[in-house]
Amino acid sequence: MKLFKRKSIPREEQGIVNTTPEQTVRAFLNAFQLRDVEAALSVVDKSVRVEIFPLDVREGGFDDIRTALTDIVTAFPDLHLVIKDVIETGSVVTAELKVEGTQAADYAGAVNQEKHLDVDQAWRFTVDGDHIVGIHVYWCQNQLYRRLAVKRLDQIAIV
Amino acid sequence: MTTTEPATRELTSPADVVAAFFEAYSRHDVETMTEMCTDNADFSYVPYEVWGKQRVLRGDGKVRTVGKVIWSGLINSFPDLFNVVHSIDANDKGDVVVMCDIGGTQQSPWGFAAPKGGRFSEPHLFIFHVDENGLIDKIKAYWNGAGINRQLGHLEVD
Repeated sequence: MKLFKRKSIPREEQGIVNTTPEQTVRAFLNAFQLRDVEAALSVVDKSVRVEIFPLDVREGGFDDIRTALTDIVTAFPDLHLVIKDVIETGSVVTAELKVEGTQAADYAGAVNQEKHLDVDQAWRFTVDGDHIVGIHVYWCQNQLYRRLAVKRLDQIAIV
Repeated sequence: MTTTEPATRELTSPADVVAAFFEAYSRHDVETMTEMCTDNADFSYVPYEVWGKQRVLRGDGKVRTVGKVIWSGLINSFPDLFNVVHSIDANDKGDVVVMCDIGGTQQSPWGFAAPKGGRFSEPHLFIFHVDENGLIDKIKAYWNGAGINRQLGHLEVD
């Protein structure tokens, strides 16, 4: 049982009122950096359309992004998210990230072998007002599996 | 001595430049793709890793030395290589982000993937920067290599 529950950062404190698309996305990413899934989700619209290609999430929604964020912060409790670049092109904001951490639980079918992960990713957000309404996520699952010592794509759980 | 004026380029928007780049890619016109870039344009195909026994080859470098070789190799391995552009988003700083699918039918080896006649189509995200002269000075791309390998029937994680 958890003695302390992480408190989500109120939206006002995140400065997301009358914000630019980049600021909305940075609020999401900053919360993700802090492994605060609920705070990250606070700037995501409930009707968000989500595509996480490496996890084969197509035409997904709010629950899919919640699951994806929760899974990674659970499997990599020392998650270190480096924001390499953020590019705003109108309502579309693209973030280049490096995700690093040590595996502590099974992830994406890969058995925990306490391997270190470092994978470059690109997240493309569509923002409407001060909410994220579209998320497309790209990384190479081959690179991820290679770092987690997976040998075959059809036998991911076999060590 | 004769001096030649530098070739003048009709300046178009960064989004138009990148759209033209993908049209050239559709024609498999690697020379035009390369000419649309600065001499020193940066190139990074992030998922591209070929792990050898002693070193790892990565898809990082310059368009003229690394990019051109990868494009030519891809077209050679996938003679019907195609791209479908879904969106092009740009800003006034020259940044251009493209969502597209790239695919084709394998006819010769690609990396460690032996040709089995497999066909793939995989979502890609490209990030370009176009300079003030209308030339591309940076190309970066992300995709899921495992998705391609599965479609080609190559299941080893090399």
